This record gives sequence, structure tokens and C-alpha cells, in this order.
Amino acid sequence: MNHGLTEDQASILAGLDQLLGSRAPAAPTHPVTFIHDAALDGAIAEAGFLDIAREPGFGALDAALIVERLARLPCALEAAASAIVAPALDIAAGLRPIALATDPAAAVRHLPMARALLYPRGEAAVLIEIDPARVTPVETLFAYPYGRLDGLEGLAERVVGEAATLRRRWRIALAVEAAGCMAAGVAAVVEHITTRHAFGRPLGSFQAIQHRLARAAETTEATKWLAFRAAWTDSEADAAIAAGFAQQRIAELTYDLQQFSGAMGLTLEFPLHLWTYRLRALAGELGGATVQSRAAAAAAWGD
Amino acid sequence: MEFGWTQEEAAHRERVRAVLARVLPPDWEDIARHGPGSDEQTAFSKIFCPALHAEGLLIPHWPKPYGGQDESIWRQFIMAEELWAVGEPRGPQYMNVNWVGPVMFKFGTQAQLETYLPPILAGQAVWCQGFSEPSAGSDLAALRTAATPVEGGYRVNGGKIWTSYAAQADTCFLLARVPAAEGVSSGKAAIVILLVDMKSPGIQVKPIPALVGQGDIHEVFFDDVFVPAENRLGAEGQAWEIINYLLQHERVGIPRYALARRTLDRAVARLKSQGRWDDPVLRDRAGQALMLCEAARMMCYRVVDGKARDLPDDAFGSLARVAVVEAENGVSAFLTEFMPDGLLGGDPMQQAHHQRAIAAGVAAGPAEIQLNLIAQRWLNLPREPRAR
Repeated sequence: MNHGLTEDQASILAGLDQLLGSRAPAAPTHPVTFIHDAALDGAIAEAGFLDIAREPGFGALDAALIVERLARLPCALEAAASAIVAPALDIAAGLRPIALATDPAAAVRHLPMARALLYPRGEAAVLIEIDPARVTPVETLFAYPYGRLDGLEGLAERVVGEAATLRRRWRIALAVEAAGCMAAGVAAVVEHITTRHAFGRPLGSFQAIQHRLARAAETTEATKWLAFRAAWTDSEADAAIAAGFAQQRIAELTYDLQQFSGAMGLTLEFPLHLWTYRLRALAGELGGATVQSRAAAAAAWGD
Repeated sequence: MEFGWTQEEAAHRERVRAVLARVLPPDWEDIARHGPGSDEQTAFSKIFCPALHAEGLLIPHWPKPYGGQDESIWRQFIMAEELWAVGEPRGPQYMNVNWVGPVMFKFGTQAQLETYLPPILAGQAVWCQGFSEPSAGSDLAALRTAATPVEGGYRVNGGKIWTSYAAQADTCFLLARVPAAEGVSSGKAAIVILLVDMKSPGIQVKPIPALVGQGDIHEVFFDDVFVPAENRLGAEGQAWEIINYLLQHERVGIPRYALARRTLDRAVARLKSQGRWDDPVLRDRAGQALMLCEAARMMCYRVVDGKARDLPDDAFGSLARVAVVEAENGVSAFLTEFMPDGLLGGDPMQQAHHQRAIAAGVAAGPAEIQLNLIAQRWLNLPREPRAR
């Protein structure tokens, strides 16, 4: 048990920070519901950060450290599926971005930019390569690009592994991404309530706000450490626990973050929604918290 | 970063389990259900702790000069998890090895070490903490129990409340206030720590009937109690430093989620035997309680990791305390809703857990104080102005 970064992990994250320092987008000055940065996406992929789990001596935890860091950005990068899910399945490096779906006919996160759609069919995990011309973007408040495929006709499904593996890694990916979004959302609100004054003092000095934000910090840290443990153990129980915990807490956490941002938080000008509305999108994936909770119970105690 | 146990750590856990299986009597659950401060559990702790010492498991984390083996904090914590999961058979003596001993090493005189360590090593010492008062709970610095300097020591007058184990205790770790010296604040700087023989004339202990079990909380009255000067721990004015050192040990000392998780496992086994485990709502709620337990576990592990790697204190202990309180109450709420028969005589250990759970947010500093600390020390939010 050691929660510290190895030299390799520290070096990789330093490299990522260096890349982000030179290229990461600032929060937008014009109203947008989500940010897609194709150039940054390409640079991160080209530098190999999303293939770390495929390298000898590295694994899903190393990928999770990268994904958590990327999830703190205001832009909606597709990193989790590429870095955490795909390496556990028969999916070649470089075939990305990857959209994950429980139902390929539904509106799917990242689909407008995706080159592949991955979903469970029975006991199998299947993948289809996507022709962007067949994807219709879907307008949404969720701070990800969403799209809907016009159908599966003419598209070749390829079995790339087991559905259980897909679900397990998806849960880990979801928890890791949620942890990063939570951390960035909390940081944004801390800055807001530290600088904004009411009744002659900073909003952040009111205990009513402090206590709820302290609980948001506890949620963030617990989500992160559960997610990292799940990435390391790659176990059914740990994955379901991590994803379920994150999903269970998202409603309360996002409500509080929005609430403490006041009317500013309701505007697209203020960047908070770029994290809270990613979190709210993640809350409903894989059937939501209840499905994860029952999966955790089944993994821990059987039927 | 990794989240596994070494072979040696896994073997250590198995050994602790094997020792518990061998040493705990068949009627252990009947003893444990009364609570750690009860006559039954205190009496058993005086059998159990010597047995644990004979196995080399009472103080292995203590430094070698004091009889320990300088065992790693992870091995100590593994043992704490296993002991708490079965209901803490060390009873009130858990705090002797967790913090009384370590505080003595750091701040005690040679004479104090010679007086207080042997009974701890023999597994026969029972201590109580004379901290809270009717008008000084979370606001400990407001305590009013007076220690008036007299020839050869102090005369103590005042009262303590919510004192665990007081009726059984040999010694009280007492916080009292000396008259403010000229130029010295009357606040924290005027607090002194006295190690008080509970048989001293003038001490009266009154049990307080409580939901948390018999023998757990008391009122203690000090009426002109003489305490020799050599029983003062540290210097006058040093008490707050000692208390902070002590609380650091106390805050990670009890892996409460371990008993919560064990109680949950046991409840699921009962639900299965009752044919109720097919209920998806029940499974969902059990899963939620499980998540809280595991979140608390990971948060506590992060605290232990910080100590193992000698990282500076960063308020993560407060985050972990909040997670532990949520786990305790999450499991307790699940059981109360779905298995109320456990509180009606159906499962004595469910009641024992419930009684511990309802104290989790109060003992060793209220959860709300932890939230304050998180806000100020983790999130760096400005302090709320103090009332004038």
C-alpha cells in the first residue's frame, strides 16, 4: 500500500502538465455548453499519454492518473475510453476517439467526434467503426458532445472481448473522470466564494457554505481514491463501488457547487457547468448509481 | 502508487485473525455487546491484553527501547482493523497502546514512564480522559476545572463530563486550568495536564445512563483533590502541544468502518438465510452502505499512508473522519430500516454496532468541527468571524 507516485508516474504526469501548460485551453469567454479541442486531443494522443496502459510495466492505474488530470480541464476530451477501457479489449492503439454506449441507438457521449462505438451485445463487447456522416449531433445541456447514429445498417460489428470487461473498465473510467471533474468544480467554486463578498465578508467564510463544500471535498477525495484503487485491482467489486459511489454523490455535489455560484453559475459565461454538466452526464451512465450499487452488492456477497 | 498488501502484511493479518480465533472465548459476542466501557468488556480486556502481549501483538508498534518492535504503521493499522472488526476486545485499553504510551514517550519523565508503562504492558491499566466539561466540549480551551498550585503539587476542583471508562479507570488524563500567570493568556496557555490517581480522596464518579451502553460515559467530580507535582505531564503551558499530538493518534486510531463492514457482511448473511436477498431495493441499499464503508477505508488508508511516508499533516485526517462517520451511520441506517429485529434482541452485535455508530460523529471531536477544519485547512477558506 503506497499512495505516492512512482518516479515513472511522477515523470509522466510532469510531462503531461508541461504539455497542458503550453496548450490547455482557457475557460471560454463566449457562451458554450461544451468545449471540444481537437488540436489538444490530437497532441495528447500523439504524445502517447492515452496508450500508457499498453506499455510493459504500466497499467490501468497509470492511465487513471492521466485521465483524472485531463478531466480537470474545462474541455471534454475523450481520454477515459481510449486510455482505460480499450487496452483491456482487442482494440488497436490509435483507433480513437471511442464512444461508449449501453444502447447504440441512443444519444451517445463523444459520438460526433468518435471513430469507434463500443457497446455490450449479450455477453460480448462489440465495436463498430464510425462514419461521421452518419452521426447527427444532439443538442444538450450536458457538457460533452453528444450524437446519435442513424442506425447499424451496413456497419460491421466486431467482437473485441467480453461485455463484463467492458462494463468493469467503463465503471473505472467513469469514476476516474468524475473524480477529476469534481476536483476542478470544487476548485472553481472555492475561488468564487473566496473572492466574492456578501454582508461585508467573503461568501466562503459562512459556515453554512463551508460545511457543504467540505463535504464536497470529502466526496471528491473518496471518489478519487476508490477510483484509483479500482484501476489498480481491476476487480468487479472495486469498479462497481467506485462508479456507484461517484454517481450516488453527483447530485448533491453538483447542486451545492451550482448553488454556491449563485446566478453566475446559471450562466454559460461562468465555466462551472463545464464540470458539473459533465458530472450530471456521468451520473446516468451504465444505468446510474442503483445499477452500480446492486453490482457492487453482487460482487461482494454473491446471489 | 499501489493498493496491495505485501506477503508479509497479508501473513500478519492472517496471524492476527488466527490469534483472535484462538483467544476469544465462545461467549465473546455476549461480552462485546455491552460496550467497551462495560464491566464485562473491561474485565475481559485484562485477560485479553496479556494474551495479546504474549503473542507479541500488544505493543509491536512501540519503539524498541519501550519494549516494542518499531513495527510499521501499516502493520499496526492492519491489527487495529482486525480488532475493531470483532468488537475491540482490548476494550478501554486500546487507547493505552494507541496514544497514552506514545504520549508518555514524548513528554513523560523517567519516573512517569516507570510508573505508567508497566501496567500497560501487563494489560491491566485502565485510563480515562478528563477532557470535556459541561461548558467545554468542542471548545476545549474553555475548560474551567481548576488546578491551584500548592506546596508539592496542585489542588484540583471542578468537574468533567462524558468521561468514558471513568468508573473502571486507575488513572485520569486530566486537563485543568492553572491561574493565569502575569503576562500569560488565560486561554490555552493556562491549561495543564495532570495524571490523576482515580483513588485519590475527593474524586466522585457518577455513571450517566446512555444509549451508547453501560459504563461508557460518566460525570467525574473533583473536590479539592491533591495531585503531586510529579504527576504533571510536560510543562505548564505545554498542554495544547501535547493534546494536538495526542489527537493526531486518536484520529486515525480507530478504524470504525471495519466493524461497520463486518456487521454489514453479517447482515447480508442473515438476509440470505431469511430468503430476502432477491429484493433489488434491499440489494441497492446494502450496496450503498458497502460503498460508504469502502470509501471510509480508502480515506483512512490515505491518512495512514501519509504517516507511513512521513508527510506533513494536511488535514486529510478530518476528511477521513467525515467519511468514517458517514459509513457508520450508513450501515446503521440500512440495518435499522431493513433489519429492525436486530435491535429487538435478534442480533446483539447489530445493537453493539448501532451503539458505536451513534457515537461516531461525537467522539474524538464532533464531525462538524472536522468540517470546519476541512474548510479552513484543506480548502483554505477564510475563517468565520468569531462571536464577540
